[in-house]
Amino acid sequence: MWRVIKSVLAAFFGVQKESRRHEDFSRGRASHFIIAGILMGGVLVLLIALVASLAAR
Amino acid sequence: MASHLPPRPTPQQHQADAGGMAADDHHHGPRGLMRWLLTTNHKEIGTLYLIFSLTMFFIGGIFAMVVRAELFQPGLQLVQPEFFNQMTTMHGLIMVFGAVMPAFVGLANWMVPLQIGAPDMALPRLNNFSFWLLPVAFALLLSTLVMPGGAPNFGWTFYAPLSTTYAPPSTTFFIFSLHLAGISSILGAINIIATILNLRTPSMRMMDMPLFVWTWLITAFLLIAVMPVLAGVITMMLLDINFGTSFFNAAGGGDPVLFQHLFWFFGHPEVYIMILPAFGIVSVIIPTFARKRLFGYASMVYATASIAILSFLVWAHHMFVVGLPLVAELFFMYSTMLIAVPTGVKVFNWITTLFRGSLTFEPPMLFALAFVVLFTIGGFSGLMLAISPADFQYHDTYFVVAHFHYVLVPGAVFAIMAAVYYWLPKWTGHYPHTRLSQWHFWLSVIGVNLTFFPMHFAGLAGMPRRIPDYALQFADFNMITSIGAFMFGASQLLFVAVVVLCVRRGEKAPAKAWDGAEDLEWTVPSPAPLHTFETPPHFEPHRH
Amino acid sequence: MRMRLVWTAGLVACSGLSGSVLANGWNMPVGVTDVSREIHSLHMTIFWICVVIGVVVFGAMFYSLFRYRRSRGAKAANFHEHTTVEVIWTLIPILILVAMAIPATATLKTMYDTSEADLDVMVTGQQWRWRYDYLGEDVAFTSNLATARSQVSGESAKQENYLLEVDEPLVLPVDRKVRLLMTSDDVIHSWWVPDLAVKQDAVPGFVNENWVRINEPGIYRGQCAELCGRDHAFMPVVVKAVEPERFDAWLAERKEAAAQEAMGVDREWELDELMERGEQVYGTICASCHQPDGSGSPPAFPALAGNQAILDDPDYHIDTVVNGVSGSAMPAFRSTLNPVELAAVITYERNAWGNETGEAIQPAEIAELLDEQ
Repeated sequence: MWRVIKSVLAAFFGVQKESRRHEDFSRGRASHFIIAGILMGGVLVLLIALVASLAAR
Repeated sequence: MASHLPPRPTPQQHQADAGGMAADDHHHGPRGLMRWLLTTNHKEIGTLYLIFSLTMFFIGGIFAMVVRAELFQPGLQLVQPEFFNQMTTMHGLIMVFGAVMPAFVGLANWMVPLQIGAPDMALPRLNNFSFWLLPVAFALLLSTLVMPGGAPNFGWTFYAPLSTTYAPPSTTFFIFSLHLAGISSILGAINIIATILNLRTPSMRMMDMPLFVWTWLITAFLLIAVMPVLAGVITMMLLDINFGTSFFNAAGGGDPVLFQHLFWFFGHPEVYIMILPAFGIVSVIIPTFARKRLFGYASMVYATASIAILSFLVWAHHMFVVGLPLVAELFFMYSTMLIAVPTGVKVFNWITTLFRGSLTFEPPMLFALAFVVLFTIGGFSGLMLAISPADFQYHDTYFVVAHFHYVLVPGAVFAIMAAVYYWLPKWTGHYPHTRLSQWHFWLSVIGVNLTFFPMHFAGLAGMPRRIPDYALQFADFNMITSIGAFMFGASQLLFVAVVVLCVRRGEKAPAKAWDGAEDLEWTVPSPAPLHTFETPPHFEPHRH
Repeated sequence: MRMRLVWTAGLVACSGLSGSVLANGWNMPVGVTDVSREIHSLHMTIFWICVVIGVVVFGAMFYSLFRYRRSRGAKAANFHEHTTVEVIWTLIPILILVAMAIPATATLKTMYDTSEADLDVMVTGQQWRWRYDYLGEDVAFTSNLATARSQVSGESAKQENYLLEVDEPLVLPVDRKVRLLMTSDDVIHSWWVPDLAVKQDAVPGFVNENWVRINEPGIYRGQCAELCGRDHAFMPVVVKAVEPERFDAWLAERKEAAAQEAMGVDREWELDELMERGEQVYGTICASCHQPDGSGSPPAFPALAGNQAILDDPDYHIDTVVNGVSGSAMPAFRSTLNPVELAAVITYERNAWGNETGEAIQPAEIAELLDEQ
């Protein structure tokens, strides 16, 4: 679980170690990454919205 | 992923396909015009797309020349404002939907199956249908020019209510033609996804795919996500115009700003649809002529996906002055600034790929390098536009026109030209004429900068976009821009000459036309026979 | 070699260009408000950030292009990944962007603070002119392009403020906070004056807010920034900023004139008087669509000369002008024009260009109609 989140975070950041990526692609399930990616996309939206509404105060 | 892979092909299969490739080069179907009308071959359909796109590029280009001729000096000389507005509108629509998008679909048709070792697209009949929708759609769109009341005149962004209550009668035809083009795009995208996911040669995993294939896969998902939104918004326009609804009519309780939200929810991913495949092309060409593997392949894929996701979160940066609440301004400013990060990563990766390579400057490389420099300049002005308070000054001026032309002309269009020069040997069996290609390149580069760089200054000095006549202080910039535009337009005739010459004759190209090229398309003969990879080829991934 | 030549040529061209344009202005104006200064400084900051990044990135690129050419015997190295470097060049842009976002947020909050205004002006976009309403002061007027069409067509020489001059500018006091309320009667327009750093869309059915506090008296020119149809290029904005005392005097004078006009509603008007006034109103309001000779431009804008539908039925004619035609480009003029102007322009349309009904529509009649509705 934590491994999936870390990989998705790396994808959002855009940098990933080749070995790590290799491991993900040989051992992980695609569906896990896709679900985690969508959820964390939502988290990103909420995060930006939160920063924006705090800044707008 | 790995558990779903079919078994690797045996060496026997591999040898058999090498023999089979060249053998089946004769054609079975009808001949002449019917051959092209009924073809289901990905290479022929790819060629059709590319020819169509080139035709539209010239038609849209002529409209741009009319615009630049009128703007050569202040005052109304050649055309009246009504016609000028039709020209700017048609120029935008034709270039976006008729030239750039079909060109990328054409390249995908030709090269995606070849790069992944597939015999054809996954859905060949659908492929034929998606292409032939386009000539119909654009014939309809162009025919509005001779209709009473004239062609659409409300800009390619067709903001309501100018495009509904106040629009010319031909708007209904415009809506229908855009529906057809949208259906074509969606079907094409479905086909590309199906091909990439199902027809890869068994030994090629997702993370082995060339970046052109990766970027197109992501682009195809973007297309499927946003083209229905465009279809929705133009249908609402249709209802407002013909059936008395008031989606965008304030007098009936509608909301003109709703139109802009819907349009840009489509429109912003749309601009990435026009640039992501270009990223893919450049990421394939630069390593070839640097004779060095692409730096940060995985990061490139991730950055593409990241840009695609963020592209859904930034649409209202096109609407900073429409009266958004403060929180929304801040949200869209922050999310837009975030997009600069993955885009920057891409540029850094390309440059690091060049670093300590072994560089040569064949025509495709020249265009790819010009892409990197000039697209980055477009990226810089994009970053400036993201700063919402400053956008109150930039918005709807020539600064914006300069920005999006930098990312679309020396961006998307140069990438398409780089791709054409890169793959022409594979398509025709001949190298493009070197001298002529270099002339084309240098005239285009000079022309494009002469055209679009002064627009930055005109915009900052206060010139709004979409005006047929302007105040005297903008005269110098506009004259330079017009001269550059005529130069750029004329030099594209050289491009046609290069392509036509290359089809007919030229230095013979071997199967592997560029010595640094690695991908699967370079294992089939040049010109590529009509049918290739009828059995899956063996693919040797880079050792990591 | 060739590349070097091109770059030298480019530099020469650039320096020549900047010489010719420095005189005319080629950068965003600093402007005459605190907000415009802040925006200008944001603009210059982000510009220089881009320049520095550009020098570094393009420097690295062109160094590689010269240093690692095969013709100079370069052999390709074999590296394709470096996590630390990638993390660094992702983090640096993020830090730069955060540093940029902070002042931008502050400026934006200032721009959005429309509270405690000393004066409210309603700005209404109309195809293709601006209407200004000094709220609570009973002063309102439209502001039309003053450049002669003969300059546009090239029949006469273009003057200094070509396309940037109006018949009546918006007069504003300096050193007072003026709230601008933007709306539109037809399509979306955008009210923009670069020196004031105010650009705000005027959207039909909605009211947007912005504000301005001008620091220096002067005349500031701008244009409509949102494509609004045929004469989008021909609806300039001119703001005349004056000292507060002069502004108060001007406002009092305009109020007096408006009161005078209101009194004219009750008296009987002669046909000639109405025709004279009507021609003037027609020229500024109606002629841009229906043409100065009443020939219109069908199908969007019908001809008025010889138009039997209006000539046979005065009530229909009055209703069309007063209430507009919904679903068409014809706006309602009931709030744009006063009863005298409405009566005059309708009378003019019924008696000009060969329309010879001989009827004088009286302002009182229109005023009564407006009261009833």
